This record gives sequence, C-alpha cells and structure tokens, in this order.
Amino acid sequence: MFLRITLSILLLPVFCAAQKADTLVSKELQEVVVTATRNERNLGALPMSVTLVNKDQIKTMGSVRLNDVLTEQNGLVVIPQVNGVGNGLQLQGFDPAYTLILVDGEPLIGRYTGSLELSRVTVGNIKQVEIVKGPCSSLYGSEALAGVVNIITNRPQGDKANFSARYGTFNTADLSGELSLKREKWSAIAFANRYSTDGYNLTDDPHGQTVSPYYNTTLTTRLFFKPTSKTDFSISGRWFKENQKPAYDVDVSPTEKIFTSGHADVNDWNVNPVLTHRFSNHFKTVARLYATHYASQTNLINTKTDSAYYHDDFTQSFTRPEVLGEYFINSNNIITLGAGTIFESVQTSRYADELKRKQQTSYAFFQYEWQPIERLQVISGARMDINSIYGSQLSPKLSSLYKINSKLTLKGSFGVGFKSPDFRQLYLNFNNSAAGGYSVLGTEIVKERLQTLESQGLVGSYYYNPDLIGKLQAEHSRSFNLGAQISPINKLAVDVNLFRNDIDNIIETQIVAVTTSNQNIYSYRNLNRVFTQGLEAGINYPVFRNVNASLGYQLLYAKDKDIVDQIKEGKIYYRDPATLATRQLKPSEYFGLFNRSRHVGNFKLFYSDKETGWESSLRVIYRGKYGAGSLQGNIQGLNPPVTDTNSNGILDKYDNFVSGYFLVNLSVAKTFDQKYRVQAGVDNLFNHREPMYIPNLPGRLLYVSVSFSFSKNVNQQ
Amino acid sequence: MKKTKLFLSLVLIAGFAGLSSCSKNDATPALQATIYSNLPADPATSFNPTNGAPIGKTGKFTLFSFSTGAIVSNADSATTKWDIGFNGLTIIVNSGTSGPGSAAALVQDGVFENLKTAPDAGYKTDNVSSKSELYGQSGSSNLAIPTTANAPSNNVSVSNGWYSYNISTHVITATAGKVIVVKTAGGKYAKLEILNYYKDAPDSPSMTSLPDYYKFAYVYQPNGSKSF
Repeated sequence: MFLRITLSILLLPVFCAAQKADTLVSKELQEVVVTATRNERNLGALPMSVTLVNKDQIKTMGSVRLNDVLTEQNGLVVIPQVNGVGNGLQLQGFDPAYTLILVDGEPLIGRYTGSLELSRVTVGNIKQVEIVKGPCSSLYGSEALAGVVNIITNRPQGDKANFSARYGTFNTADLSGELSLKREKWSAIAFANRYSTDGYNLTDDPHGQTVSPYYNTTLTTRLFFKPTSKTDFSISGRWFKENQKPAYDVDVSPTEKIFTSGHADVNDWNVNPVLTHRFSNHFKTVARLYATHYASQTNLINTKTDSAYYHDDFTQSFTRPEVLGEYFINSNNIITLGAGTIFESVQTSRYADELKRKQQTSYAFFQYEWQPIERLQVISGARMDINSIYGSQLSPKLSSLYKINSKLTLKGSFGVGFKSPDFRQLYLNFNNSAAGGYSVLGTEIVKERLQTLESQGLVGSYYYNPDLIGKLQAEHSRSFNLGAQISPINKLAVDVNLFRNDIDNIIETQIVAVTTSNQNIYSYRNLNRVFTQGLEAGINYPVFRNVNASLGYQLLYAKDKDIVDQIKEGKIYYRDPATLATRQLKPSEYFGLFNRSRHVGNFKLFYSDKETGWESSLRVIYRGKYGAGSLQGNIQGLNPPVTDTNSNGILDKYDNFVSGYFLVNLSVAKTFDQKYRVQAGVDNLFNHREPMYIPNLPGRLLYVSVSFSFSKNVNQQ
Repeated sequence: MKKTKLFLSLVLIAGFAGLSSCSKNDATPALQATIYSNLPADPATSFNPTNGAPIGKTGKFTLFSFSTGAIVSNADSATTKWDIGFNGLTIIVNSGTSGPGSAAALVQDGVFENLKTAPDAGYKTDNVSSKSELYGQSGSSNLAIPTTANAPSNNVSVSNGWYSYNISTHVITATAGKVIVVKTAGGKYAKLEILNYYKDAPDSPSMTSLPDYYKFAYVYQPNGSKSF
C-alpha cells in the first residue's frame, strides 16, 4: 500500500491512466519533469541536462531542508553565501546568485545578499526536485543563467494524512504533517512544518555562535477545482516565518569588545491562482498570477547598556501575471507561447533612504518543440525581456537530441543567459557598525558618496581605479552543453556532459576605497570575461536486486580571461616563499577563480526492499581543494590566514588552499505495515570540520525520525 | 669509495674552472643581491592595553645608504649621506620635500633579478604637501615611491604601490614584481625589492605579527653605470 501511495504521488495526472502498470514501467513514467520546457515532458526525451531527485531518494537520504538534498547532487556545491553565512548553490562554477530557485514554477524571493538561503525550504512536502543545468533565460528570464532548480510539491492523491517527526544533534527538531483530500470535482492538500535548532558553534568564542538558535514554520496549502472536464483551477499559498536569536561580539579595539544580542526575523508568503483551460485537444491555455512578499529584520541591543545597537530591515514584493498557450499541432510539433509582466519593489534600511525602489519587466517567449524524425528532437525558443531600468534583453536557446541507437543518445544545446544588476547592486547604501565597520554602496550611490568623502578629506586610499567605480552593466553568458547518454549494457546508464560558459560583465563585490578611519568601502563592478568549463559524468547501475549504485564526478575550470591574458603577457608575478625570489607566473600555474574546486564527486549506494520495508543508503561526497578568497564575515572569533600568500591578488598553485575533503552520510529505515516508518542516520560520519573556511559544515549530525501515514480511498479516481 | 670521492672532486674542480672562465669573459663582475633584514621603520615599543594603539612612535625615518649598506644616523638627515628612509609604510628618497639630496626613484613591474639596466627616465622626487600626507594612512602618490596600496584580489592595479593590504586579515604584503630603482644621493644606481614588512619576516604573517620591520633585497652599482 505504501508503495502505491508513494508512486501515485510521483505521477502526474497526465499519466494517471497508467497507474496500474507494473513497477518498472512506473519507474520510467515517474521521470516526468516540467522545468526544462514548462510542460510535462519525459526526462529521457529532453535535450537539456536535467537532474531529477525524487521523493523516495529524499526520504531515504533523511533530508529535511533543501540544502541537504542539493549538496549531494552531482555537480552541485553548497557554499556559504556572499556574507559568509548560510547556504547557497554553486552550479557549473557559477556563484549562488545565478541559479533561479522555483517552487512549483514560481520564484522564491528574498535574495538580500544576492543569493537565496536554501535552508528556508523544507523538503517535507516535496514530490521531486528538478535541476536544469545550462541557461534557461529563454523561458525564465533574468537569474536563470547557470540553471534552474524547481521544487515540485505534492498533489492530493486520495484521502490521506501523514505525520513525521525527526530529532537530532544540536537539539534539532523537525515536525511535518500533511493532509490531502480528493473528491470528484475538487481536491485539496495542506502541509505544515516546524523546524527548530539550537544552532552550533565552531569556535571557543563564548558569546554568540557560528549559527545562532532559530526556529521556523512553513504552512502551505493548495486547492484544485475541476468545474468541467476542460477546465482546471488551482490556488496555492505558502507562508513562512523564521525567528533567530543572534549574538555577536564586536571588536571596538584589540582589547575592548561590545556584546550584542537580539533577534532576526524572516517572513514570507505567496499566493498563486492558476486557471487552465483546454479549448480543444490541440490548444491549451494557462493564466496564472503569482504574488509574493518577503520581509526580514534584525535588531541587536548592546547587552551591557541595554540600548539599541543595530537595526536593519528588508522588504521585497514581486507580482507576476502571466498567460501561456500551448498549441499541440501534433505529437511532432508543439508550440508554446507566453507573456507576462513582473512588478517588483524593494524597501530596506540597507538602502539608507528607505525609499521604495521599483522596477517592472514585461516579457514574452516562444518555444517550438519539433520532432522531424523519430530519432531527432529539436527545441528552440527565445524570450524578450523589457525592463524599466535596463532596456531589453533577448535570450535565445536551441537544444537538440539525437538517438543514434538504443545504446547511445547525443544531446547538445546552446543558450544565452542574462542577469540584470539587482536593486542591491545599484542602490545599496549599507553602513555596518556591528562588524568592525564597513560600507557597501550600490553603484548609483558610491560615486556620490566618495565625492562627499573626498571633499571632507576622509578618503584614505583607493583600491580600485576611480574612473571605473560606479559603472555597471547586465551580465551575459553564452553557454554550450554537449552530452551523451550511453547504455553499453542493460540497466547501466552513463551520462556525460561537457559544458562551457562564457560570461561577460560578471558583477562582483569590490573593495573600492578605505576611509582615513580605516573603514572599508565596497561597491560592485563588472569582472569582465570569465569562463567556466568542464565535464560532468555520472554512472548508474543496479549492482544487485534492490541495490543501486551511482558514481558522479565534475571537472571544473573557472578562470578570469583577463588574468589569463595578463599571465601570457608576463605581467603577473609571484614570490617564491622559500627563496623570496620573484618569478613570472606561468599560465599553467594559475588555478582559477576563488571558491571553485577543480574536482568534485560523489558515490552513492541506495538499498530498498519494498517487500521487507528495509531501506538504507551510503553517500560519500567529495569536494576537492579550492582557494577560499575573501573570508570577510566568515566566522567570528578566528583570525583568517592569508589565502593569497604570494601577494599577486590571484589564486595560483603556490597559494594556500582549503584541502579537499570527504563527507560520509549513512541512513537506515524500516517501514512497518506500510504505515509506520522509523529511520536513523548520521550525516558527516567522520565529523569533518573546517570552521574558518566552511562555517556551514557543523560536524557530525545524528538523527532519528518516525513517520506515520494514514489513508483511505487511495487511488480511486 | 675512494674512487668515487676522487671522481666527484674532479668533477667539482672542472665545474669551478668552467664557472671562473665564464666570468672572465664578462666585462664586469656580476653584482650580487644583498638582503637586509629587520630594518626597523619606527615600530611601536608597546601597545596601549585598553585600545591597542601603538605607543612609542617617534615619527622619525630610519635612513639607509646603499653605498655603505648600513643605516645612517638620523642626526644626518639634513645631509646627503643617506639615500632612502623608512617610516611605517612610507618610504622616502633624499630629495624634494624629504631631504637636501637629489635622489630619485621609480617603481617598475618586473622580475628583480631580470632587471639588468636601470631605466633612463621616469625618476621622481618626493613632493608631499603636508605631514599628514607623508605619514597618513591616506597614502600619497606624490612620493617617488608611492604609499598607495595595490588593489587586492583583482586584476586592476590602480597604483605603483609596493604593498597590498588584505581587508579580511589586515595583513600588509609586499607585492611581488614591484622593483624600485633608485638614483642615489651620490648619483649612482641601485635597485631594491621589498620582501616583507614584519619582524623576522614570517612566511605567513597575521594580525599578531609585529609590523614596521623591513626585509628587502638590493643591488648597488658603485661604478655609476646603469647596469646591474
């Protein structure tokens, strides 16, 4: 029974007719994804590089937050965000800000440091996670430059309820409950999750922790209504609230500290009505509205004087009406057209004026899925975005798949992606007095501020060419992906994908000047001409009955092309630490951009016996050595060592590196009576920790969980 | 064993013979670089226990002569006995607003040992307008050897400064590939490269390392020619 429930959750309505098929067929059918084309398509038939993580895997892994799931996927690296805390996603060598994170096709907002905090997302109600690698701006616009992660939530499948509870290290508790109802004309699903943790401390600092205690609540609900056989209406809502109790000590001088504590709150909600109507077997339209709101604020007091010490707030809203038409000429020719408008606003104390900054983007896109012959599939498309600040961006994409024979399929795609400078990069006017003192100024603000400071004689020195300060353009990428699916013997699947991304005008934080009182001023700049290229490979094989083994690997080269040129011209030097002699750096000695590992990999064994109810997993995740770059704000209570030991400003093979490391995760679970499930596991078995460099790695985590599911009238449709 | 030793010494003798014959062919004997360690550039004698501020700074420059290869007494600051002087991050040359001499300097990108000839032109003298410009953290590009930091972690060098400052570690590092060419007070040429700014030149200095101690390599050409 449990098996059938699980499977039915995984199936989309399109394939409901096939529900009585045997397990093998179902396994193929469940690999339906929506992200790559914005329509339900079979994973194997798509010419793009798409990864699917299904509910069974997530459950066996014992994951509770989105970062737990993503960190184990091939080619994905979960890294701290720009401000040194939290969890962001690195994909094909792109920083976290370049991957769009969607829930049921709609974007999550609240990227106030540029990237999205992955741990905000519970996985308790997730049906599957879809990851599309390579630019998807042709469908999704800005931010979908590296790729798209789309979280697909459960749909109602009969009358059922389930409840699960997990408890683990650091007093971390996760409680989830879900209720679904299904009737002839309507169905509904509601989900609630509460997560709480004491956080953890990786240093001896007695005041404050690396991650302060916090708890959060997620409520989601979705109603489906089918007034006629041709019309579907659904409305979904999500509400999230998080409270954290941070505490920091601030060095006023080498011997004097101020102790602060307070609270940091996050609130976000969204609502999403969707109306689908099939005018005929050939023509379907979807009208949808997505409205979402994100607000966060931090308040700190000086614990000695009990007076207010620090405050910041950030409020963002995003509203998007969209219409989409799918014209199904025949199974070999499908045309999708869409158009919409995004209304966006941000208001924050981090921009000192607290003004509401608005922007608006209107867009239209088309996609043509063409299958001229059985073996060939071609998907072409383009999207035009017209922004009230940046003007227009055209993002075309062409992908194709050619099935040579039953053992070999080739895929290739080319796409253009873009990412507009965000509000923060333009208007940020942030002066932090809590962390030693520094300012981060948007490019529209920084010139003015520096002029004022200069007239007051307060500019210490410039760290960046003053003529280049304050000029910013949208970022662009041109990306190639070339892949092959090979199945030399039955059930053995080998996937290989070569990628190359050429990015122009990457925007990076840049220290531009220091004041006479030694406060650093940061702004943003375009870092011209970067490339990332590499190879991703995966092997999957069911070694025994019920045991599936997989091996994944990614090779990555991410380099600044200007630096490559300068090295070729002999303009970059390094100092040999042993002889102190200066040498010219050779091209082969340049390692590349900071924070990128040349090698990452994983090995996974999943065991699942549906008859006995036992399942277990062993996952080994490897991240190769990398250069840490700036550790500003990474962790309090530690003095970071120098990465760039030979003082040439770039990462070369003579510099300090963060050593490569393995993480080993284990889990075991047993399901009784297809209703009760007990699980125990350990993440990071060997307690690997690197406090300075990897503050988001807490060390060994043990957990146990129980779940219970109750159902009636399952699968009666 | 004996045979091996004999053979080795023969090889060594042959080697030396070869070397000496090589140098005989050169017009001038090659100049060797000298490394000077722990030149104090007005370091603090102690630090304020409450706020960490340095104590005991005199504001005086430590003066250095390339021809003697030694520190010149500060009492001789109004003479042409010295060529360059050090105080904190500031390096002066004996000319303009800094001294009575006609010393001058320039900073050039390159590999120290590969710089065989001093450039013909491009030398600057010191010309600061105020004491705060001379000592200030604001740095100055009006010195022959500018005290502006190089941009860390990026490829756009905004100045010809000899050092870079790491914003997260607060460590000063001597930038590799910055060769300072000095026309001395006596009209001779010298080249130098700063190697380290901390006492006993630790490989990986941290905030706790003692600053204001220079380690540098230099070559002085006493014959008045521009070749090193």
